[in-house]
Parts: sequence; C-alpha cells; structure tokens
Amino acid sequence: MSNASQTFDQGTAEQYLTFSLGQETFAVSTRNVREIIEFGRLTPVPMMPASVLGVINLRGGVVPIIDLRQRFGEGETRIGRRSCIVILDVSRDEVQQTIGIVVEAVCAVLEIPPQDIEPAPTFGSHIRTDFIRGMGKIDGNIVVLLDIGRVLSLEDMQQLASTAASASKQSA
Amino acid sequence: MNLDSIIGTFLAESRELLQQMEDALLQIEQSPDDPELINAIFRAAHTIKGSSGLFGYDAIVAFTHVAESVLDRVRAGEVRFDSELIALMLQVGDHLGGLIDWLADGHDLADVSVETRATDAELITCLKRYLEEAPTAATAPQAAESDHTEARTASGETASHHWHLSLRFGADTLRSGMDPTSFLRYMATFGTVAHVEPVLEHLPALDKLDPEACYIGLELAFVSDADQATIDGTFEFVRDESSIEIIPPHSPLTAFASLLQLRQDEGDEQLQRLLRCGSLTEAEWLQLQTPAVVAESDTTSMSTFGSDDAKSDFPTLAAGNTSPASVATTDNAKAAKAGKEAQRGGGDSNLIRVDAAKLDQLINLVGELIIAGANTRMLAQRSGMLEMNESAETLSRLVEEVRDSALTLRMVQIGATFNRFQRVVRDVSKELGKDIVLQVSGGETELDKTVVEKIGDPLTHLVRNAMDHGIEPAEQRLANGKSAQGVVRLNAYHEAGGIVIEVSDDGGGLNPQKIMAKAVQRGLASEGQPLSDKEIFNLIFEPGFSTADQISNLSGRGVGMDVVKRNITALRGTVELDSKLGQGTCVRIRLPLTLAIIDGFLISVGQASYVVPLDMVEECIELPGKGLENQEFLDLRGDVLPFIRLRQLFADDSTPPRRENVVVVRYAGIRAGLVVDQLLGEFQTVIKPLGKVFAQVPALSGFTILGSGAVALILDIPGLLAQVTHNDNRAGLASSQLNQVNHLRSNAQ
Repeated sequence: MSNASQTFDQGTAEQYLTFSLGQETFAVSTRNVREIIEFGRLTPVPMMPASVLGVINLRGGVVPIIDLRQRFGEGETRIGRRSCIVILDVSRDEVQQTIGIVVEAVCAVLEIPPQDIEPAPTFGSHIRTDFIRGMGKIDGNIVVLLDIGRVLSLEDMQQLASTAASASKQSA
Repeated sequence: MNLDSIIGTFLAESRELLQQMEDALLQIEQSPDDPELINAIFRAAHTIKGSSGLFGYDAIVAFTHVAESVLDRVRAGEVRFDSELIALMLQVGDHLGGLIDWLADGHDLADVSVETRATDAELITCLKRYLEEAPTAATAPQAAESDHTEARTASGETASHHWHLSLRFGADTLRSGMDPTSFLRYMATFGTVAHVEPVLEHLPALDKLDPEACYIGLELAFVSDADQATIDGTFEFVRDESSIEIIPPHSPLTAFASLLQLRQDEGDEQLQRLLRCGSLTEAEWLQLQTPAVVAESDTTSMSTFGSDDAKSDFPTLAAGNTSPASVATTDNAKAAKAGKEAQRGGGDSNLIRVDAAKLDQLINLVGELIIAGANTRMLAQRSGMLEMNESAETLSRLVEEVRDSALTLRMVQIGATFNRFQRVVRDVSKELGKDIVLQVSGGETELDKTVVEKIGDPLTHLVRNAMDHGIEPAEQRLANGKSAQGVVRLNAYHEAGGIVIEVSDDGGGLNPQKIMAKAVQRGLASEGQPLSDKEIFNLIFEPGFSTADQISNLSGRGVGMDVVKRNITALRGTVELDSKLGQGTCVRIRLPLTLAIIDGFLISVGQASYVVPLDMVEECIELPGKGLENQEFLDLRGDVLPFIRLRQLFADDSTPPRRENVVVVRYAGIRAGLVVDQLLGEFQTVIKPLGKVFAQVPALSGFTILGSGAVALILDIPGLLAQVTHNDNRAGLASSQLNQVNHLRSNAQ
C-alpha cells in the first residue's frame, strides 16, 4: 500500500496554478482551486483584520476574500487590470471552507515533477516557513508552493478576527 | 427496500406510540375510566408488540405481551387503573423506551445490561400480579362460553381443537418490507404452529415471475389460547393487501365451506390441505357436501379480513357477505371499533414524514428564489416598462407567499414539548412531596423545529427550578392564604415576530434584597448601585452568581440559570425574569420564529449596506443637525434615546452626508438609535450564515445578498446594543446624570 502511494508520488507530477503577487510567483495545487473569477464588487466587513478584504457573492453563496500579501505581513495587494480572485476549497481538520484570494495576475497551470521541488528553506524567506510547502523550480525560476490549508487556517484567522474585534472595541 | 430505513421507521413510530401511551396514562389519572384513553394505551402497546415481532425483537415482544395482557384486562373492566398501575405502566413505557433507544444505538437486544434485565424481570413480576388477581371474574365468561360451545356441537361444529389460518399474501408483501415467515416466527411467541401447508398454485411460470412479488400462501393449523383479536393483530400490517381468513377452533362447518368457496380457484388442492392440516376430517368433508350446508355458507360467521380491493390478486368475500351470526355481538362491536380506528388512521394518513434535510434544501432554494426575484424586480423598475413592473410585482408577491409556506413546513406546535412536562411535574412533585399541577396553555403556538428541539433542556431546568425552589411547602402555602396545591404554568404566544415562552409559578417569589446582597458578595454588583427590582432579578442569570450552597439561604433559585441563559442566547433568544415576593415568579423566554429568512430593513452607511431585522425597528427619524456632535443620546419626544453612530463603530472613514438618519430599534425592552446615512426600505432577507471566518465579529449576525448581487451585512442588534453599552461603561460614562440612560445601559449588561 505504502509502496504504491510512493510510486504514485514520484511518478506523477502534480499540477499547480501559478500566480504573481508583489515581485514573486506563488503556486497552489490545482486540487484546491475551484475557479478563477475577475475581481469584482467586494463588500468590506468591519471589525476584521486588514488581511480579510471582505466578502463577495459567488452565485448565491457568500465567500470571504483574503489579501495574501497582508496575510504574509506585507503591504496591500495593488488591484490592477489583471487582478483576479482565485476561489479555493480549503479543508483543514475536516472543516471544508471556500475562500477567495486576490492575486495580481494568474500565470499558468504547470506540472512540477517531485524531483524539482525542494523543501522549504528554514530561513531566508520573508514568509512564515510553515506557510510554504516547498520551492518549485520552473525553467530556472523559483516559485513558492503554498500550503494553502495552513495559510488560510481558520483558527489563525479567527484569532486575528477576535483580536481585531476587541481592538476596535477598545478604540470605539 | 432498505431494511435500515424500515427499522428507522419502526423506531420512530415506537417512540411516538410510547409518547402517546404516556400522554394517555397521564390523562387517565384525571379520568380513570375513559375507554378512549384505555384503548389508546392498549393500542400503543399492541402495535409496538406487533411491529417488534415483525423484526424479530423477541425480547420486546415477550415483555410487551405481558403488559398488553394486563391492559387487556383493564379494557375488559377486570382491573381498574389506579395510581399504582399508572405508575407501573409509566415504568413499562420507560423500559420500552430504553430498549428502543438501545436498538437505535445499533446494539443487539441480547446484549442489554444487567440492570435492564433486572428491570425487565421486576416489571414483569409486578405486571403478572395483575394477571393473577381476581381470577373468578375472568373464568365466569369463559365457562359461559364453553357451555355455549357444547350447545353448538350438535349443529355441525368441527372437531378440530386448533385455529385454522388461511393466508394468501398480497403481491406487494415483500416490497412493503414484510416477510411471510416473520408471521410464523411471531405467532410462535403465543402459540404453536402445528402444521403448515404451503400454497404454491399462484406461482407463475418462470418467465412471468416477478422476483420481487410475493406469490405464496399458507394454510396453518395453530394451537393457541390467544383470543381472536391477538391473532388478527398479527396480520395488521398486511391485512389490506392480503386475504387473511381466521377460523377459530370448533367453528361451524359453514366457516370451512365458505373458505373453500373463497379459495375456489385452488380447487381440490385446498380441500386436501385442510384435511392435511387436520382442520377438517373426512367425515366433516362429506357432511359439507350436503347442499343444505353449502347454501347456508353464504351467511357464515367467519371473520373476514380480506381486501375490498377488486384488483387484488386473490378473490375475497365482498364485505357485505360477512353477516353476523353466532359470535355476532362481540364481532360487531369490534368492527365498529375498527371503523373508528380506521377513521383516526385516516386523520394520520394526511401527514407525511419528510426527511428534514429535504426541507432544508427546499428552504435554501426558496432563498435563492427570493434573491433572484429581488434582482428581477430591480431590473424591471429600472427598465421603466409598466407591464414588466407589474409582472415583477406579482412574481415577488407569489415568491413571498412561497417563502411563507415553505417556512411553515418546518414549524411544529410547541404543545408536544409542553406535554412532556406533565410527566416531569408528576415525577418531581412526588419526589419533593409537594402537590403541584402543571397548567399548559398556548400549545398550538408554532415555531421552528430546530428551535423546539433545543428548547427542551432549558425548559426542564426552569420547570424543575420552579417546583423545587419556587413553590413553597403546603403548610407555608396555607399559612400565606394560598391553596395547598401549587401551580406551575407553561404558556407560549407570538409577539413581534418571535415567540415568547413563559414558565411561571405561584410560589414564594424572589426577594430582591437577598439577591442584591448575594450579588454584592459575589462582586456582580456594587453596594448602593441603583438597580430596579427587575435588574436585580436578572442578576441571577449571571455566571458565577449561583452555587449550590445558596439555595437554602436565598430561598430562591439560580442553580444553573447561567446555563439556561447561555442555551437561549445560542438560539438568538433572550431570557428575563419577573417576580413578586409572595406571589410567584415568571421566567420569559423570547425566541426568533425561524433561523432562515427574516423581513429586514435595509440601510446604508457610506458604500456599505446593512440589514436590521424589521421586527426590531420601531421608527425612523432624521438626526437633528445641531448640538449632538459629542453627545450619545438625543431627545425623542421627551424621552432620552441613546444612539450609536455606525460610521464610527465600523471605522468607516467616508464623509457623512449632509443629512443623517436615525433608525430607532427596540430589543427586549431596550431602545436605542442607529445613526445611518440612508434608509433604503424593507427587504426580504435570506440569512446566509457568517461562517467560521466571521463568527467572532460581535456586531454581525449574518450576510444576505441584495437584488443587485452585492452582499449586505445583517446587524446583530442585541449584540450591538450590549457591546456599545459595555464600551460606554468601560469608558466611565456610566455615571450619566440621566437616570434613564443609566437604566437602559445596565439593563443591557
């Protein structure tokens, strides 16, 4: 059983959706990607951390939208002509959640063979290392493979939300 | 058909029946001889026994059989329902409930715990006592009957000592989840099947055979002391579609003659079967041949339970053919009763069991429909086409109606929940040695099923509290000029788009001074804080107020009241308490009717739209332009109205418009204003849950989608009011010179 899954891991290259954010290229497994939509009307939600931009109406469902750069502790993502929202299905601890992320531009869907994936560096990255699943090499360039379940972890965001809420309470 | 789902139905029905039995038992305390109630109890036990037998739950069958026998004697007037028997029967119900739960948890009846077995045995011993008592009364009619029997022997009565059963199962028997062999198994619990003859004539050729259809019939010789009703009852579930003939021992020959006539299509083979069963002897057969008897056969007294359905696979006697002869009177009475039951059954058959998940799906779809409808209406208005507009209006009115009726599907009456407390009150009052009755009103008030399911625990707590700490001992009551019997009341009614449930008692009431003293001691209030009685009473809902040692020296209640409050708050409800010292206490629970769709009032601040539940909106006014910059309350026709600036609260840095508006909201007695930019009017709001990400935001209760497709936020008014008043207190503004403001704030705490 374990043998079989190992050969599967080595033999089949997983597909990744790459997108750019700031100066960098990131990638998420296409298994998490539900769809890509154009950047549209967003309703901000008060008393939330800045990384939660708000919510959108996705065919009758309400989906929260996250700014990854602010989640990484960097500046706001600039919204431009090529900006998109990538809708992701994130499941963590058996809780399924649909969350959207804002990206500056969607690049491509690529196969990255396992031998081209290096483990996450223990230092030298400006992003929390537990957010990184690995570093992929594509044509001599490095893309950051995100552990999207970790990045969009509900517990983390809830914590952020409650601190944001109490902070605004204090200031009010 | 899936066996699991049938068992599920069996479990659900058994629970319902046990509940009916309990209700009837509790009612019978008041009117011990009401035949309707006695029958209801008997029917419940009987049906449980019958259906358990079908599933082969022999332990339940054996146990229920004893209980049923006792009930049968009650029905026959040989035993009377006294309080002791009622208590015993209630225990029987509980025990059966326990067994059903055990099955529901997926266990095997063979593995029940030692205690359960002990209860089983103990209850059976108690029940058997009722069966042994007063044997004289029972034997008398039997003797009379045997006399009668002897008298009949002369007039062509058969010699066989056993019942003869002629069964032709309907084609759909297997499809409806019944197995012919299960009847044999069940019958073996109260008699011996002496001989079985299979009837295979109706089996078609292989190429025409439908593997799901039942073609088999059985001829049975059955030795049993059971009465006809018991044997009839065995086939209760297949009677409609099958042809079931039951011939008692020593029946007249004519009974067999008409049976043979009925099974004419089977010809000689049927006769051979009767002979092989020993139900008919050769001599009797020859006697039958004489035309006189055959002619008589049309007016036989054989009991027929065949189907009236002409399309049935098996020919049956027309209903009119069964004319009363020898056993006439009792059978007639039975038939009349059966008719009555059928009528009652007819009422039940108007109900359909529906999976709750399907209802949820429907309500979700209706929600989508409302959003789509709102969009159409908006586009129609924009188009400026008059006809289009009218059509859209009609559409949205219809959608509104669909919404309302979809929501009522989930609504159930609270009466059933209330009635459960009859038992609680009865048991607890015995336990406490107090004479307490429960008065129930407003049981027809409807609310959402999910809410009903969750309200049971808090209500139990409140009722127990009222009985334990509210109602004084009888002597004290008499000394205070009250009747010795205490009263606990449960009441429900609709108010302002919600439901109010009241639990009240006519007991000693609460002493505000004592509660205040306790609250100060616990650090929940400060000495000399000017609080009204009502505010003081509501302190007992504070966590940390109550501990067990207080019951005595407080002579009040409070144990676990914070838990009650937490449960109610989780249902988006509130709870408050009212009490008059010496006269009683009333706890009032307010709950929303449903959790899915509300009528909302749409407002906007800057770019964002918000929805306030319409039933909380009292009025809208324009914010007076001057002199309010640093103030947090305004003068509303002489009353002080505190207000919240939403722009400020939500840190919206857009510039406010020249004119701002105030929406006056009221919730649970607190009134406050919300300062907003624009009033956009009424809006049907489909509540989309906040989801995990936003669960922590205190001022929001959900999202909704506007006709334009944009998302709006639903404000959580109770949460908002509580949060803002809280902030004010923290900021040290609590000591406002305006008493009323202070009042409002502390109320919200």
